[in-house]
Amino acid sequence: MKHLNEAELIEHYYGESASTADCERHLKSCAACAKHYADLHRDLDGVKPIVTPVRGEDYGEQVWQSIRSSLPVYEKPERSWIRFWRPLGWATACALLLAVAFVAGRQWERKQAPPVAVAADPQARQRVVFVVLGDHLDRSERLLVELNHAGSNDVSALPLRGEARELLANNRLVRQSAIRAGDYKVEASLDRLERLLVELANQPDEPNERDLDRLRQEMNTDGLLFDIRILRSRVGSRALEPQGAATATKGVSL
Amino acid sequence: MEESDDSIRRAILSGDKDAYKVLVARYSQVVFRVAYHITGNEPDAEEAVQETFLRGYQKLALFEGRSSMATWFYRIGSNCALDIVNRRRPEPQNRIGEENDPERNELQLADRNAGPDRLLLSREIEAAQQAAMSELTPTERTAFVLRHMEDRSTDEIAAVLNIAPNSAKQAVFRAVQKLRRQLAPLWINT
Repeated sequence: MKHLNEAELIEHYYGESASTADCERHLKSCAACAKHYADLHRDLDGVKPIVTPVRGEDYGEQVWQSIRSSLPVYEKPERSWIRFWRPLGWATACALLLAVAFVAGRQWERKQAPPVAVAADPQARQRVVFVVLGDHLDRSERLLVELNHAGSNDVSALPLRGEARELLANNRLVRQSAIRAGDYKVEASLDRLERLLVELANQPDEPNERDLDRLRQEMNTDGLLFDIRILRSRVGSRALEPQGAATATKGVSL
Repeated sequence: MEESDDSIRRAILSGDKDAYKVLVARYSQVVFRVAYHITGNEPDAEEAVQETFLRGYQKLALFEGRSSMATWFYRIGSNCALDIVNRRRPEPQNRIGEENDPERNELQLADRNAGPDRLLLSREIEAAQQAAMSELTPTERTAFVLRHMEDRSTDEIAAVLNIAPNSAKQAVFRAVQKLRRQLAPLWINT
């Protein structure tokens, strides 16, 4: 017969025995174990419960007052959807910041680029037109001077045909601008110039002295040169005028 | 109608600090009792109570509701009391001996037959029991107090002491053995 050891007896005493019925049965049948258990029972029953000093009804209040000042206030928790969207919000804010920086950079670059600013300003654009027209008239005047003064020895050395071809394209643009602006005097001068340029540009070879004489007579290049000079001098003076005066005059009327 | 522990907890976590007062009032007596059983004296028990409710407040957000709030505070209280006992680990205690001997820290216990005053005897038994209890390690003492006086199960004791149930059982067993050994002279004389 296997006796119960002290650990098993203690478990049984506290009602935590794995098999209470078996223990009971054994204690009834085994005098030695029953005596051990009786001794244990007496000893543990003899351990007096510790008498706890009585606390008053206001003990809770006392404890509360003693700890109250040490307790921080909990912050109200964020709603779950705010917690979820917060990282996304930060990401959006960062993206927005980048976009703003990009646009600001672009704007700053535009401010730093004078041609763009000129194009956006009507007065400045007018001045550019005068400059371009003045340049075209200047080149045309040089061509006419060369044509009028070309001698028998240096005709072949003059690139009149090539220069005429280049001026022809510009002249068409300037003439169309003058038509749109309703400046028919300028347009008439440019029309005469264009006919001369066409003749020169369409020469099969570089023109010889005879060809040039014919053109001088047919086209009255002296008169044309005179018109161009007057036109150029007026355009030049308009381009240099203050902005208010320049805007007061529509187109380049002579 | 009494407000539920859970609704109070939610109120506190939403920023109503003063709502905690209700929980303190509700559980301070229970916590004091167990703390006193473990520490064995009033000042330490009161300190354990304060520490318990401070810790409880700080960990309130972690309370998952797997046990009741009463059990939760009970466990924290037991732990706090145990911590205090561990911090103030007593110097060598008086032992029960044949004579009073300060050098050996022995305490002579009065025999029951020494006098007719049973009240005096009762006090002496209590003193002997207290001396025997102080011989236990903090873990053994706590395990025994929870088992014998608080009628807690082995699993609950294990949870309070943060040890395995089998270790809790062993702690109770060792405590009982030591107490029986220390108190044996008293039983002989009864």
